[in-house]
Amino acid sequence: MTIVLTDITKAYGASPPAVRGVSLEIQDGEFFTLLGPSGCGKTTTLRMIAGLETVTSGRIELKGRDVTNVPARDRDVAMVFQSYALYPHMTVRQNLGLNLQVRKVPRAEIKQRVEDVGRMLQLDHLLDRKPGQLSGGQRQRVALGRAVIRRPNVFLMDEPLSNLDLKLREETRTELKKLHENLRITTVYVTHDQSEALVLSDRIAVMHDGVLLQVGNPQEVYRRPADVFVARFIGSPSINVFSGELKRHGTQLTVEVQGPEEGSGGLVLPVNLAHQVTPPSGKVLVGIRPEDLTLHRSPGPGTLRAVVEFVQPMGALAYAVLRIPGGEHLVQGRQDVMAAIGPDDIYNRDEAVWLDIRGSRFSLFDQESGRAIA
Amino acid sequence: MSDRAKPGSGRVWGGVMVALLGGFVLLWLFPIYWIVLTSFKTPLIINEKTPVFFFTPTTENYRHLFTEFNFARPLWNSLVVTSISTVIVIILALLAAYALARMDVPGGKNIAVWMLSLRFMPPIAIVIPFFIAWQRLGIIDTHLGLILVYVSFNLPFAVWMLRGFLVEVPRDLDEAAMLDGLGHVAILRRIIFPVIAPGVAVTAIFTFVFAFNEYLMALVLTSRNASTVPVTVAKFIQPYSILWGDVGAAATIQLVPILIVVFLLQRHIMRGISLGAVK
Repeated sequence: MTIVLTDITKAYGASPPAVRGVSLEIQDGEFFTLLGPSGCGKTTTLRMIAGLETVTSGRIELKGRDVTNVPARDRDVAMVFQSYALYPHMTVRQNLGLNLQVRKVPRAEIKQRVEDVGRMLQLDHLLDRKPGQLSGGQRQRVALGRAVIRRPNVFLMDEPLSNLDLKLREETRTELKKLHENLRITTVYVTHDQSEALVLSDRIAVMHDGVLLQVGNPQEVYRRPADVFVARFIGSPSINVFSGELKRHGTQLTVEVQGPEEGSGGLVLPVNLAHQVTPPSGKVLVGIRPEDLTLHRSPGPGTLRAVVEFVQPMGALAYAVLRIPGGEHLVQGRQDVMAAIGPDDIYNRDEAVWLDIRGSRFSLFDQESGRAIA
Repeated sequence: MSDRAKPGSGRVWGGVMVALLGGFVLLWLFPIYWIVLTSFKTPLIINEKTPVFFFTPTTENYRHLFTEFNFARPLWNSLVVTSISTVIVIILALLAAYALARMDVPGGKNIAVWMLSLRFMPPIAIVIPFFIAWQRLGIIDTHLGLILVYVSFNLPFAVWMLRGFLVEVPRDLDEAAMLDGLGHVAILRRIIFPVIAPGVAVTAIFTFVFAFNEYLMALVLTSRNASTVPVTVAKFIQPYSILWGDVGAAATIQLVPILIVVFLLQRHIMRGISLGAVK
């Protein structure tokens, strides 16, 4: 266990705590992502691990050592800042070598390691430049190199890719993944970009309003969100959330999303709540991912009528943006329903279609608390 | 914006600006030019009713200054007192500004305002207490006495100014350095100082000029040994005459150290003045 957070809380004065009772265990060599919208406490959590922020209450352990009150410089963690925070008056070589120099590593070894890292990150021809003379992507690599060269206990990364343009961001994302595969240094990564989190992480912790909502591998948080917030936050385009009702027919439990009008049908989904002793009453939220919806051109049993607004082509696939006539109360959060379609499927504006569910992939959430119903 | 669109009007406007600025520069430079000119004139030419611009220059005033008034002494005093107090002020102010800007000093903001408020007081109000205290301490008419006064007078201003430059430096830099294993003093010396060097240069020039030109405290707290240039120059105004030639020569010499400092640091000054504005 490399990092153990036990019930850590961070409060600033009288305002509500930025981080509330977060407990986490991060494994050796893991790529662990703190994911959430801005202001959710993910950066504060990272900064507490780094020692740049004091902990109001709780306990932080690094490699079995309680570092809750250990100053940042003695924690042996390296951090990549969102702004890169390169020392503007030093050359790339000096930026990379500063920590080694502080730790009195012999000069020849520093030179060697700087050159190794320079080669690894394709900075070797830039070593004698200053940060001001580098492009955004190059600066980002220097920031990364400054962390890598130390061979630290832990890498901390605070949205390191958010200042790059999209193309470069995706390239760097791959580089980062490769780097982690090679070095296997425990990494805590902060981002608000769910796709970045899904691509990079071994495990993801989703935070909201200072609270940890779910920890799981990318597949788990995507497929079995513990909370309707997590369901909505992860996945693009985001999940469709319908109002539904749990109904019991003998031993069979179903959830129904009833169409609003005469003849608009409704989705009927069999529910398997094996370990739920008392199923929650009546109203629930039903989350269905766009790729789990299919469209039929004619009505059938358990299908819900919708109208095509337009089609969004995405290259390899496309999404139909749909409206349920008179069903504004049915769709939670936003008015449209999104469904994945084949890239060559043609639908016309205002064409009536019938929604069906592919397989039995959907999630149920309590209408009040938003927590998943197992 | 509409007049910008018309071709040529931008250039006319630019021309007017250049003429105006040029006029101001001349207006500012003329007194300096005149005092330098005066320093090379004989008393006869100085006292002409109509200003004389062309004449045969003489170095008589300078000779007179150094022989009659032993000007080397106050010049040396001024340089010593000013340089040493400036160095001390900058070192202390850097430390204080760093603490105020970066550490959670309790009431840090109040401390900064309080320090600046020390400057609100007119020096004349405290010069007598200083005189008495310095006399008791036996540091009247010494370099040390003046250095202490100048350090205490210039420190608040320098702290305030450096703090302004320092808060412009992103905190990420300090934090990166902290994670790289540097302590506060090392961060200040190796990261902050080089980054705000232009600001330090500007602050140093201001401090230097304030101390170099200071008159009142030097007048009261020195007599023969530690007397400074401004105090000496004031002696040229005598009951029945004003030694304009000597004034001109002394003022010209007094300009030299300041010009040297400014030229040495000028590379930084422009960046320093615009450090806050352009990021």
